[in-house]
Amino acid sequence: MSSTRLLRHGSVCILLAVALLPALWMLQLSFRAGGNIFDMRFVFTPSLANYRSLWSGLFPGSLGHSAVVSLGATALSLVIGTPAAYALSRWRFRSRRPIALWILASRMAPPVAYTIPFFLAYRFVGLIDTLAGLIIIYLTFNLALVVWMMRNFFDGVPPALEEAAWIDGCGVWAAFRLIAVPLAAPGLAATGVLCFILSWNDFFYALILTRTQAMTAPVAIVNFMQYQGWEWGKIAAGGTLVMLPVVAFSVLVRRYLVSGLTAGGVKE
Amino acid sequence: MAFARASFEWLAPSLAHARPKPWRRQRARIFAIGLAPALVVLAVITIGPTLYLLVTSLTPASPVHPKSLTDFGDPLGNYRAMIGDGEFLNSLWVQAKLSVVTVVAQLAVGLGVALLLNAPSRFLEAVRTAFMLPMVLPPIVVAVIWKILFTPDISPLHHALAAAGMPVHSLIANPDLALWAIVVADTWEWFPFTMLMVLAALQMVPSEPIEAGRIDGAGPFALFRYILFPYIRPTLVVAALFRLIDSIKAFPLIYVLTNGGPGTATEVTNYYAFVEAFNFSYWGYGAAIATLMVTGVLLLSWLVDRLNPEEALDE
Repeated sequence: MSSTRLLRHGSVCILLAVALLPALWMLQLSFRAGGNIFDMRFVFTPSLANYRSLWSGLFPGSLGHSAVVSLGATALSLVIGTPAAYALSRWRFRSRRPIALWILASRMAPPVAYTIPFFLAYRFVGLIDTLAGLIIIYLTFNLALVVWMMRNFFDGVPPALEEAAWIDGCGVWAAFRLIAVPLAAPGLAATGVLCFILSWNDFFYALILTRTQAMTAPVAIVNFMQYQGWEWGKIAAGGTLVMLPVVAFSVLVRRYLVSGLTAGGVKE
Repeated sequence: MAFARASFEWLAPSLAHARPKPWRRQRARIFAIGLAPALVVLAVITIGPTLYLLVTSLTPASPVHPKSLTDFGDPLGNYRAMIGDGEFLNSLWVQAKLSVVTVVAQLAVGLGVALLLNAPSRFLEAVRTAFMLPMVLPPIVVAVIWKILFTPDISPLHHALAAAGMPVHSLIANPDLALWAIVVADTWEWFPFTMLMVLAALQMVPSEPIEAGRIDGAGPFALFRYILFPYIRPTLVVAALFRLIDSIKAFPLIYVLTNGGPGTATEVTNYYAFVEAFNFSYWGYGAAIATLMVTGVLLLSWLVDRLNPEEALDE
């Protein structure tokens, strides 16, 4: 191995440690019980005490809320967004570009700008602290993402196949359902997973729009910091439980992760 | 001819190309039906709230005065108050510092890591995904991780420094350093974004000019400066704008690490709007600040669209 190659691999290894160790430190902290938390020695007896105490509290309920809201928002935005993405990909019309720009801008808007009007409206119609209320506001970022990503995936499906189907008497709608969607299925799955991750990761909207009935897991973790003293073990365990599905899903869709995370910036 | 075509249509009704006009119209109608629900929903959940935000910003809305949501007696009152509000002006300054420093740091680190990873090696390709971890983690988990690292009692960093005879007080409790602690955490969380975009751009760089440069005796620095950099510069600009826009929304890190403090040392504009609107329930005033932020973000989005190199090719 040449010296530049060695230097390159060596620095990458160090940087990799910087990128991964902070998360791993939280992970090991979650297995330390009681006074062990403040012990810096690497060897310790792992304990599930933190997880057990989480399980007996309200945390499983919050995890459930997170799951329901994330799945609901993902399903809804895929159902509404996919046909729109297909139309934007196949149909050349004059306002195509402004619409694409609007969709990009809606992804960019600061959450606090949406939260104030949504909060006032929800107070009025009684959607504060409901799962439905969260699902609706999550559409503000998910729908834009679905349209943006699926448009790219449909651009990658050759239109010749659908044109052949049309000539054989297949309707536009049927060609979309029977040809374009199955061909873009991997993209659809990846988009769905990304929507799930974005919704699951949300903290700001849930902090403001929920109280107790619809509190999601990220908000529950922060509550461990504020109301019950500093229970580092429980905080670390809660953080680990919220982190796990995201890491698992990311590994699952790593091939498509890049295009989703840089949506709008890099066009595939 | 029209008669002839009509008379054959019953024979082959499926021959779409034989009757282009109605077919094209039918196709456009179905596309419009597919597009409509998304556009309607997006309008209701984005344009509607934005307009309502603008309307609210023209009122002194707060829960204390029941009629205040529709009180347009002094429509520009909130905006006038903003100019004289020292805490708001301070938040703009804190925001500017945080945005500039984090964007520069993330560009530098992201570019550096991308260049390191951009070499033919199975190992380097395998670890690419691992570098994305900080960015995909839930922001609240990132905040918890850094709260742990910045809390002397349980932080391995603080313990290591103390063991080396250089004990350090908590950075996030120090008004002069708290913002820098946030910069470190934010850079850790978001350098993968620049890294990914630069890696994507590097893959588009043709190999011929690099080969030619090498043959002509260009060193690694000259190769980067005169050949690679011009290719990836547009991508760096777009990445910087994306990160700039996102830095305006910074929230979970500040909420968990410093709560805007000590004092107002880390109170960025977004955080100040949140505090005014939801801690003090000055909805009207919070809405005015948020309106200003939306204006800034829309301007930046417009810039992204103008500068996006891929989109330009698309035209």
